[in-house]
Amino acid sequence: MQLLKPARLLMTLVAVTGLAGAPAWADDDPIRIGAIYILSGSAANYGKFAQQGIQLAIDEINQDGGVMGRDLEVITEDSQGKASVAIQAARKLVYQDQADVLMGLDSSGVAQGLVPVMPELKKPLIITHAATPDVTGKLCNAYTYRISNNVAQNMKAAAIIAGETGAKRWTTIGPDYAFGHQSWEFFGKALKEANPDVELMSDTAFPRFGAEDFTPFINGVMAAKPDGVLISVWGGDLVNFVRQANNLGFFEQDMEIMFTVGAATEVLSALGEQMPEGVWLSTRYWYDGFDNDVNKRFVSAYIDRYGVPPSYNAEGAYAAVYAYKKAIESAGSTDGDKLAQTLSGMSLDAPNGTIAFRAGDHQALVGPNWGKSGPMNEKHGIRTLADLRILDGEKVSRTIEETGCQL
Amino acid sequence: MKQTILLGALLVALIGLVALPWFAPYFYIFIVTEILIMGLFAASFNLVFGYTGMLSFGHAAFFGVGCYATAMTLLHLKWPFLYCLVLSVGAGALLALVIGFFSVRLNEVYFAMLTLAFGMMVFSVAHHWRSVTNGSDGIAGFTLGDFGLGLDLTLGNPAVYYHVVLVFVVVAAAVLYLIGRSSFGMILQAIRQNPERVAFCGLNVRSYRLAAFTLGGAFAGLAGGLMAPFLRVASPEMLHWSTSAEPVLMSILGGTGYFLGPFVGSAMFILLETWITSITQAWMLFLGIVLALMVMFFRRGLLGTFLDWWLERK
Repeated sequence: MQLLKPARLLMTLVAVTGLAGAPAWADDDPIRIGAIYILSGSAANYGKFAQQGIQLAIDEINQDGGVMGRDLEVITEDSQGKASVAIQAARKLVYQDQADVLMGLDSSGVAQGLVPVMPELKKPLIITHAATPDVTGKLCNAYTYRISNNVAQNMKAAAIIAGETGAKRWTTIGPDYAFGHQSWEFFGKALKEANPDVELMSDTAFPRFGAEDFTPFINGVMAAKPDGVLISVWGGDLVNFVRQANNLGFFEQDMEIMFTVGAATEVLSALGEQMPEGVWLSTRYWYDGFDNDVNKRFVSAYIDRYGVPPSYNAEGAYAAVYAYKKAIESAGSTDGDKLAQTLSGMSLDAPNGTIAFRAGDHQALVGPNWGKSGPMNEKHGIRTLADLRILDGEKVSRTIEETGCQL
Repeated sequence: MKQTILLGALLVALIGLVALPWFAPYFYIFIVTEILIMGLFAASFNLVFGYTGMLSFGHAAFFGVGCYATAMTLLHLKWPFLYCLVLSVGAGALLALVIGFFSVRLNEVYFAMLTLAFGMMVFSVAHHWRSVTNGSDGIAGFTLGDFGLGLDLTLGNPAVYYHVVLVFVVVAAAVLYLIGRSSFGMILQAIRQNPERVAFCGLNVRSYRLAAFTLGGAFAGLAGGLMAPFLRVASPEMLHWSTSAEPVLMSILGGTGYFLGPFVGSAMFILLETWITSITQAWMLFLGIVLALMVMFFRRGLLGTFLDWWLERK
């Protein structure tokens, strides 16, 4: 009978810890991140890189004990680059899959549609790629943040570089939706302000997003004989564009050429040597441009795992997961309203330096990266960026008044 | 007897729909809202196709125009929602009258091609007229204000909006049903079966076809108007011929021979899409398989095949 006593003690112990542990088990449920990216069509590669960035961050965090003792988990939906699809996906993620936070968005058009719906969903959204100034401008709201730079910031930087080239007559080739049109609008405005004598040509080209044949647009621009061309074509379209432009001798003309998202590694790997040398390329983040510990760790872990250097989309997604980790830990909760408040003004150490979400419009003041395409990096199979310039995020950002955002 | 059972089943379904927000998972409010709106769109198409026998490939034009009408009035003029819907119905009917005027004089594949061409013209206008329609990005960022008539409804609440949609769709469906049962509807069905004979009876076939086409456009416009606050965006894709194909597929899935066929088809289409896309990206492949099987073995559609079998059983 004596033997039973420790057994009974053990039983009691198990029962007590079991009871006490019951509420804690509910908290062992993973924290769910809902991600919306383009996973099909000509820009599907961007979604793939973003997914890889998210997975890397989540695995690092989970190995380190998770967030407040809970694991992170991601559920990804395809936006197909369409606003209506993305809005349905966001509703599914929040109401069906019980996502605690949302992130993603590749397309400006998608962002303009989804962002006004966020106050209904009552979950924070960190945009990691879509660049339309409106979502941290006139459409801004308490739940929407952006960790990547926007068209206004990048075009201000582009105008600074364009001004230095001395080219006077500028035109554009861009996709026929918000991104292409707003890139040209903001570039023109900034360039004209700094250099009143430049000419913004009326001959512009806006091929449909996903168009396969760019030949007529390339010929049209060459016939107009501009001094400089701003090209905001991106994704699989940009790969097609550069191949066709090579064939037509576009790069042998005496023009300054600036690709506003040309240094996306997705595009550079697809093109290899076909990307000409000596053209201006921009990216939201260049993996070789930041000498800090977070970046070193991120880049080497990424290359180890996936065999290619991280693109800006991978970096934005990776950083956004860490932003949520920090926000959840400082808020001590996964409540949507509390998190949205915590993110405002919050700063974190991302691969591209210490960045902060400005309280007035929720835009991170990150500097655009511009450089000239240089010799091949044989190991990574892509062009290097020579004369890399990382512009000051504060200097290229609009003031809160200019954004038109009222929070 | 069977009539009573059918009526009872319909009543139970209706009560289930009204009570849905209280028992179904929250996400299904969105799914069923979409089913109802697309069902109305498909039913408006079936007036033209199932009743009158005209296979239109441009029906999305009226749906899309209705959606743009409501979205743009909400954005620029901030009218009460009810007035926006009236405008959507008018816009759908007017556009259908114009397109129908040129199209109904032709038959069969020529009619289908002409409606397709007109539909793509409307799509092109919406896609390229950036200063008015905002091009490929479409109209987004509008807010929902009052409903109108002094009713205090929070349209932004998905459950409230679901009930608003339910009322509109049930009333519109009842009107469509009565139109189909009226002598006018009988003539439309006669035109499908034998237009020459109807003409020999002294009736102007072309006018009847135009009237059916315009009515179909009006109801499609209403469906589009209801869609705008649901999707929160009016985009050119809604005017594209691939959207015109959706009511065709829904009508075939559900069955064109019975009034509720398109609604059943809409439910099948959207539920299958939701379930299959959560497993695989290849939803179109599965839709193709289902559609091929339906056309090969159940040509009368799901509802049609079932009702045929059940009503003939002694």
